[in-house]
Amino acid sequence: MKNLVLGIVASLFMFTSAMAEVTMVVPQKPGQGTTVWADIVKKELEKHLGEKITLRLIPGARDIPGINAWHNELRFDENTIVVTHGGNGVSFLQEQVDYNYAEYDSVGLMNLNIIAGKRIGDDMSKPRFPAGSGMVPEAFAMTLMLCGPDKSVDEYIACFKENVVWVKGMSGSERRLAFKRGDLNGTRENPATYQKHVEPDANAELWFHHGLLDPTTGNHVDDTNYPAGYQVEQIFEARWGVAPSGEFYDAYKLVKSFRDGLQKAIWVNKGNEELRKRMISAMYAMKNDADSMAAIEAKNGKYEWFIGDDGDQMRDTLMTFITEDALKNLVKFNKEALGLKSIYKADLVK
Amino acid sequence: MDTYIIVLLLGVFYGFFVGLIPVAGATTGLIAIYSFVGYFEDPYMLVVFTTAVVVTSSIGDSFCGVVMNIPGAGGAAATMVDGFPMSRRGEAARALSAAISTSWINGLIWGLLVFLFLPWYTNIVLYFGTVEMFSFLIFAMTCVIFVSSKYWFRGALALILGVAVGHIGMDPNTASPRWTMGWEYLGDGVQIIPIMAGVLAFPELLSAYWMKAEKIKLTNGVIVSQLIQGVKDTWRYRWDGLRGGFIGGFIGLIPGIGGAIADWFAYSQTVALGKRDGENVGQGHVRGVIGCEGANNAQKATSYVPTVLFGIPGAPFEVIVMGLLMYVGLELGTPSVLSDTKFFDTLLSSYLWSLLIILPISYGFIKYAVYITNIPFRYYFWPILASLIWASTQYTGMFNDYAMLAICCCAGMVLKFTKFSRVSFLIGYILSARLESSWVQFNTFGYGWSNLLLEPLPLIFLTLAVSAAIWGMFFNKARIDFV
Repeated sequence: MKNLVLGIVASLFMFTSAMAEVTMVVPQKPGQGTTVWADIVKKELEKHLGEKITLRLIPGARDIPGINAWHNELRFDENTIVVTHGGNGVSFLQEQVDYNYAEYDSVGLMNLNIIAGKRIGDDMSKPRFPAGSGMVPEAFAMTLMLCGPDKSVDEYIACFKENVVWVKGMSGSERRLAFKRGDLNGTRENPATYQKHVEPDANAELWFHHGLLDPTTGNHVDDTNYPAGYQVEQIFEARWGVAPSGEFYDAYKLVKSFRDGLQKAIWVNKGNEELRKRMISAMYAMKNDADSMAAIEAKNGKYEWFIGDDGDQMRDTLMTFITEDALKNLVKFNKEALGLKSIYKADLVK
Repeated sequence: MDTYIIVLLLGVFYGFFVGLIPVAGATTGLIAIYSFVGYFEDPYMLVVFTTAVVVTSSIGDSFCGVVMNIPGAGGAAATMVDGFPMSRRGEAARALSAAISTSWINGLIWGLLVFLFLPWYTNIVLYFGTVEMFSFLIFAMTCVIFVSSKYWFRGALALILGVAVGHIGMDPNTASPRWTMGWEYLGDGVQIIPIMAGVLAFPELLSAYWMKAEKIKLTNGVIVSQLIQGVKDTWRYRWDGLRGGFIGGFIGLIPGIGGAIADWFAYSQTVALGKRDGENVGQGHVRGVIGCEGANNAQKATSYVPTVLFGIPGAPFEVIVMGLLMYVGLELGTPSVLSDTKFFDTLLSSYLWSLLIILPISYGFIKYAVYITNIPFRYYFWPILASLIWASTQYTGMFNDYAMLAICCCAGMVLKFTKFSRVSFLIGYILSARLESSWVQFNTFGYGWSNLLLEPLPLIFLTLAVSAAIWGMFFNKARIDFV
């Protein structure tokens, strides 16, 4: 009997080990956005990789411990990759984290966008908007659009405080209901949840979006999933007659690029060429498979994949946005306008 | 469709089985599902399974009280007061039949009222702005303190402690760690499963292990006649059953209050009326069984209302239902779920089908169900404990999960034996984030006391809260010792 039980346990162990060829670390709990995304992509990738991919969920505060664990330990395993999201990109800029994108190679990333909706007919010169560390680019965008060009960061902060009702402490479900009821007159979602929660609402309409970063030029271009003219830069120029620029805009560009440009990214440890080659080859096969892309786009919208070196180029472009002024102004706005406990990371500028 | 039927049947049998196990019930049964939640192919299958478990575990609950004199779960404790003496007299099948039929009928009535009209009730959500939600939370917490236990002062302390534990994690104002004592593991807050398993389930499990259960078997030869007699009793005391259903239905609507409270309230009313009619309710009278069993399934059905509409659990087991559905992307209380007709259809059909399937099973296999209940609890103890540990350590799978579970178990034991309401603690913990965000929004939007006192819905909730507090302090005759 004892032998039988040991045999079963041993076979199960061997079976599990043989099947789990690649481990994909995800820094979230089941059911959360990136976990759901990773699950969809994993299923499609497996078809082209010819190997099993096991998701390893390592949740924790603001989804940082999972990436830290991968950076400090798991990335040295020859078959382990990691998924990061936009929130990790923002945390990288303004929090004490262990991970550093410069030390990894890109397997592939989806260059996504965040979409803001508003209540039809509401006075958006006094927005009531849900707060949160993930909403920082929206706070910047609203401030720019409301307050116009040629102001100092202090003036922008004062303008934000005077005009924007920044409603803290709302969970996703609360903010969606509050927007539906009209307590909030503005909200934001990723493309998939915008489609699910805002588009069907007869009282809501598109307000603005951040555009998509073109890694070759370093500029943001219009998102063709939405009508033309709704990108923050376009709205700003239409209202104020000039394109946005200056130190505040640089800080905005920095934070939105790190959040949206790295909104869904898969990384492998630098130097692990063997795994990277396998994964990139599967990525390209997935990208060329209409069924696979349809399955992914059904949940995430039609957004471009940057695979391998293209992903690295995106990361490298993002790094060029990190300047001392942009980083300091980001932290200043976060602390003084939004009440967040951000820190200035001088080592990032180096 | 075939898979849905299989999932429904699995849920029905699993729920009935966990209901039969002493002190297990819906909450423990649902916690164990965390271990295999990944196997459900689509989210609606999990809706089918959890609903079936909730419905059928309520029916199974009655068996332990009647044939072993120990509660099946919190919700079946009142049943044993009259049910077990009846069993000693050789009327176990009659008591079980009365319990099953009363619970079933009220489950059907209240289930239809809830699930058939739940899509329509979603319109209510639009009337619940910041002020309404804030006053509703005050009302819910007042009820939990003053109604759920006779030790209301300790209940208040337990609730405050729960709120404090719920505050551990990230400060929503600054997005920085709060009260984590430098333990990075707590950065994302204390997780719900170790709290439910350690504070609520584990102390009951341990108590049951040491509990001296009596065993009674059904008397052969009279089972069928007693089953029929039980149904006749249900008809004879139908108003007691329906009153119990009404009490259970009402209590289920109030967030966080449910289970034993509804049963004991219904039971105390039946005792009072029994005395008036000169019947010995409390000493093995079938009327006592019917009085409390009416509340059982009715409360389960209506507790879905605050859970689905607001994402605020109507009863402790609903916390687990919410968490499980969240795993598969169905976040209760969100516009996407509130406009999801498939979700509501699945809820209604799985509820009704579970009720329909469990009735012939519970009658037809009553003798075997009693055998299952009579299996010594030590055989159930280890598998249940293993499933609780397994479910509680799925967060990271590391040492920290085990440490947190151990802390929660110790806290649960301390709360239980010092008679601090664990339900108050849990509700404080669960509503903590909601309370904080409501308070922050209340201030951010610039509301004041005048909004609370002059607008109709908030005024109603505050009046009810004050009434509940006065009633709990001075007029609560039921004196429920539920900790």
